[in-house]
Amino acid sequence: MLWLAWRQFRSQAVVAGAALAAAAIALALTGVHLAALYRDSGLATCTTACGQPTAAFTYDVRSSGGQAIFYAGVVVLYLIPALAGIFWGAPLITREFESGTLSLAWNQSVPRTRWAVVKLGFVGLAALAASGLLSLMLTLWSRPIYAAAAKANNPSLPFGRISPLYFGAGGIVPAGYAVFAFALGVSVGVLVRRTIPAMALTLAVFAAVQVLMPMLIRPHLAPPVRTTYALAAVSFSATGDSNGRLILAAAELPGQRGGWILSQRPVDTRGHVVTQAPQACNAQPAAFLQCLSGRGIRLSITYQPASRYWEFQWIETGIFLVLATGLGGLCYLRVRRPS
Amino acid sequence: MIWVSWRQFRPQAIVAAAALAVIAVLLAATGPGIVSSYRSAGLATCHVNCGASASNFINGVGGLDQALFNATIVIGYLAPALIGIFYGAPLIAREFEAGTYRIAWNQSVTRARWTAIKLGLVGLVGVAAAGLLSLMVSWWANPIDQAAGLGGSASLQRLDPLVFNARGVAPLGYAAFAFAAGVTAGVLLRRTLPAMAITLVVFAAVQFAMPTLVRPHLLPPAHTTAPLNAQSAGISITGNPGSPPVIRVTGNFSKPGAWVLSDATITPSGAALTKPPAACLGPGQNAGPQSSAGGPGQCISALVDMHLRQYVAYQPASRFWPLQGIETGIYLILATGLGVVCGWQVRRKRP
Repeated sequence: MLWLAWRQFRSQAVVAGAALAAAAIALALTGVHLAALYRDSGLATCTTACGQPTAAFTYDVRSSGGQAIFYAGVVVLYLIPALAGIFWGAPLITREFESGTLSLAWNQSVPRTRWAVVKLGFVGLAALAASGLLSLMLTLWSRPIYAAAAKANNPSLPFGRISPLYFGAGGIVPAGYAVFAFALGVSVGVLVRRTIPAMALTLAVFAAVQVLMPMLIRPHLAPPVRTTYALAAVSFSATGDSNGRLILAAAELPGQRGGWILSQRPVDTRGHVVTQAPQACNAQPAAFLQCLSGRGIRLSITYQPASRYWEFQWIETGIFLVLATGLGGLCYLRVRRPS
Repeated sequence: MIWVSWRQFRPQAIVAAAALAVIAVLLAATGPGIVSSYRSAGLATCHVNCGASASNFINGVGGLDQALFNATIVIGYLAPALIGIFYGAPLIAREFEAGTYRIAWNQSVTRARWTAIKLGLVGLVGVAAAGLLSLMVSWWANPIDQAAGLGGSASLQRLDPLVFNARGVAPLGYAAFAFAAGVTAGVLLRRTLPAMAITLVVFAAVQFAMPTLVRPHLLPPAHTTAPLNAQSAGISITGNPGSPPVIRVTGNFSKPGAWVLSDATITPSGAALTKPPAACLGPGQNAGPQSSAGGPGQCISALVDMHLRQYVAYQPASRFWPLQGIETGIYLILATGLGVVCGWQVRRKRP
């Protein structure tokens, strides 16, 4: 049975192996260069006032193509689970339905439940390994970039590993996504029984899950921290608009880097949210912030600190693995008692 | 024949229409808000020195609007790929796999006509969907694009490779090419799944190669060479104990909306700056500027005395539409070529 599962999966496995090997070579060659840039820029030994070495490092990374590789890696890590679901998961059992080979497969000495478990387990593990390996390589490769981002604020660098765009493209969650997407593909295929619609549906559902997770669920995996800062402590990316509506948007958390800002609003001394800027302050745009401070207005920021990165990684991976197991169970039941 | 093609294609067309409708509702609901904050930032009537207010406006685009802006870019890349994978690759490959091509080819309609109508109808729907998407997104993001063009952002201008692909007419060309590549892969491989995978790989490779290798040279880039003096030069010096200091000199090239292709600091002889002047090197050539003979100030004035110039090659903002037109043309020609290959292969095949 294992041999059959391997023979049916061989061409896909070869393609994935070749792609992983190519990625490994490219990342190894450029990773050495990136680490050297980090060392030469002086960031390795810098502890305070790292703005200038960070700017120099960013300039070098950008001009040597490192930035393009980094973002390409992020995109690929989001794509791989989707591809595993579409090209490995959805056709796995559906193709046998469509081409009629199912009746042959189910009339062998191997029981259908065992057939399903071996197929699901074998290809599911391959999806986990492929996505996990690539994530490991990119995580190691991009360590200097995240280290530089943690030392000084620079708009060209990623804001921190816990922010939504980068969270799903590093650490261990890509492996969880891949197993989930694969199980989703198989389940949709078993239910729809037609390969191409199953592939399209898998993509749509997985994309929806990937969008909803950081928007609705991840912010609440642990109770967010709420802190109120004096305006003088915050560096702003936007302040107020000309209609008198008060907008205070901090570019980053004061005093700590890389946190994930969930919401921020100006509050008065009693802790109530301020929506309109006081008229007196609108009249003096040059000293706008000082005027607000003088009236006791502070900025309340709700955020998830960067130190929760690994905690969130484990929880989210666990959620996706549980979901994948549930979907696998669904497939198992469906195969055991086909309608 | 048109009726058969439509009947076979109906579910895909409905899915595409539904997706477009959802996107249209989202964009229509949020678009007016962006326009009004663009107006209230005073950008609609701003003509000179608008960089600061444009930058404020772009930084103020947050929450749902920012998520939508990023999502439209991702969708702009994905939509043509999906058209190629789900419309193109199965179009003829599925008939081969299921054996239905035998029935189809034994009707009164000739194979050439069968291929031409299938390709034409589904291809046109795919191109129309991509065009509609691009039109909606270009309308919605227009205030952000305008603000970036006024100098509000160093990386969101329309000519930047990331944004370029999701605006204007280029998505029509991408969709046509991806669709034709999918059909061709299906006709050549005669198996749906491998054809879909190959289509994805080929399209991704072409989309990567275009902005990095081809687009910069579609029109000869513009150049400027400006002298660097103490005011215009941003000089940064960093160093580690044990290695020579690293010196970077950057000018203040500012042409809002331009796509910078290369930015180099050159010496009067035209060579790139490689060796730092002696004033920047401390005793033993291994110290940073902090310990150099006269401190960082002397190092900087020594750099200024070298009469360095900043050389920038770029595509100016005004080339957005010419580049879009040329690129769309290239993709449409490629798509037509692939369509001809399909027709030829289908005619050649023995049933």
